[in-house]
Amino acid sequence: MSEAILEGMSEAILEGMSEAILEGMSEAILEGMSEAILEGVSEAILEGVSEAVLAAEEICHTYPGGVLALAGLSLTVPRGCRLAVLGANGCGKTTLFLHLNGSLQPGRGRIVVGGVPAAYDRAALTAWRGRVGLVLQDPDDQLFAATVAEDVSFGPLNLGLSVAEVRARVAEALAMVGIEALAARPTHMLSYGQKRRVTLAGVLAMRPEVILLDEPTAGLDAQGAELLLASLEALNAGGTTLVFSTHDIDFAYGWADRVAVLAGGRCLREGPPGEVLANSGLLAQAGLRRPLMVEIAEAAGLPHGGRDEILAGLADRARR
Amino acid sequence: MLATDRHAWTNRWRFIHPGEKALFVVGLLAADFALPAASVAHQVFAAAFLATVIGAKVPARAFWGVMVVPAGFLLAGLPALAVSVQLEGAGPLLSLSPEGLALAVAVQLRSLAAVACLAFLILTTPIPDLLALARRLGMPPALVELAYLMHRLVFVVLERASAARQAQEARLGYRNFKTSIRSLGLLVGGLFLRSLDRGRRLDTGLAARGYQGDLRVLSAEPELSVKRLALAVLMTVVVVASALVWP
Repeated sequence: MSEAILEGMSEAILEGMSEAILEGMSEAILEGMSEAILEGVSEAILEGVSEAVLAAEEICHTYPGGVLALAGLSLTVPRGCRLAVLGANGCGKTTLFLHLNGSLQPGRGRIVVGGVPAAYDRAALTAWRGRVGLVLQDPDDQLFAATVAEDVSFGPLNLGLSVAEVRARVAEALAMVGIEALAARPTHMLSYGQKRRVTLAGVLAMRPEVILLDEPTAGLDAQGAELLLASLEALNAGGTTLVFSTHDIDFAYGWADRVAVLAGGRCLREGPPGEVLANSGLLAQAGLRRPLMVEIAEAAGLPHGGRDEILAGLADRARR
Repeated sequence: MLATDRHAWTNRWRFIHPGEKALFVVGLLAADFALPAASVAHQVFAAAFLATVIGAKVPARAFWGVMVVPAGFLLAGLPALAVSVQLEGAGPLLSLSPEGLALAVAVQLRSLAAVACLAFLILTTPIPDLLALARRLGMPPALVELAYLMHRLVFVVLERASAARQAQEARLGYRNFKTSIRSLGLLVGGLFLRSLDRGRRLDTGLAARGYQGDLRVLSAEPELSVKRLALAVLMTVVVVASALVWP
């Protein structure tokens, strides 16, 4: 009797154990697998194999009067990046942006939007401008409506959205740049910084995948620039790709995750800031100076890396 | 003009439906033209003035500021109205009759009252609101858009003009009569070119936001209040009644 009982018990125990083990194992396997899959996917996204949201391929542009603004420029914009376009005055930054938005058509070469070569008919341009927003440097080139809310409503209405949807988007865009209180104000009674934020809201209300910003911080005081950058950071965290031109190499070094250096209507290099902006020869060729951080790193004898690496290195040095 | 615009955007009645203000003005104008000027013009003028200064809380100075130029033109026209010319008989004959003078004064009063009504309207209602009303009332959209853009560009050009003038002044461009004439010529010529350039750039800026030849914006529409419409009509009735009672 007792034997029988023992046998039964041990069987039961073994069964239970193996079941538990199997379950545990399968869970572990599944978890491991899914992790591996996720990693693979995210890596693919990060590498941007097919994820160029916007690209210029060997584009040339000559302005009337024979000024060659772009001379075979190629540039790829990875999705979700913060790409800084750097270069001296007259290197073709603004012209490039006008091409990336379809406002200008290249004489040679082509623009590729989301993997598809761009077309310039009315319907294609409408769709393109819905996906790629452009914020010009001078807000008076973009603001035309009488009040702030009216101006912001212009873009979404052009997308053919319903009135209710447009109203919601206007409110959302104004909140995103922190100017809800200005909604009923006339555009010609705003300060320069306020105008800049209204132009950004006007583009945000169209919910583009990519925003092109021509000199976003130029002419803004430190606080105004900070407010603008906070809005942009929130957007970027939400997946919007940002491409901005700037002369401020320290700002590009600290804020961008990719930089492109332009000179003479071409893109000399595109890559992570720590790598591209440590290259003195390249920067000299483009008429730029090196970022302060890189010079500090060099003076301190630290390796050139990203801003965070240099800061960590300096902190480490100070502790020792 | 800048002061007028500022009051239009900031007065107490800014968010009252432009149709209500327009009805008030139309009622006053109708009374002004329908009744004998000597009896009604004062009341119409007073109503427009009080509505501007007490109702919309626009400073009285701004009201007089708007009135002064048209009043000057009216005064300049007074002699021409008062004096009558006789061409028959022995040569041209100028004469000043009591009837002629009375007629001239009546026309002046009527016109001043009408100008006061318009002063009320432009001091309390921004131009774009009036344009939106005009569109509602059947003005062709293309004309409305043109006026809308002109209104916007006027301010951009004015800003440029004053900046350019300051820059010229800083370099002694207005030292004497000769340099002033030269500077002003350069300023006007430069402004013309700049305005063309500005228009072209605005076109690019708008195209980047999907402009396809149709400037549509979503205006905040104030509620049309039946109570206020009735009040506007009542004001006209009061003006007419007072004109009839105290001619």
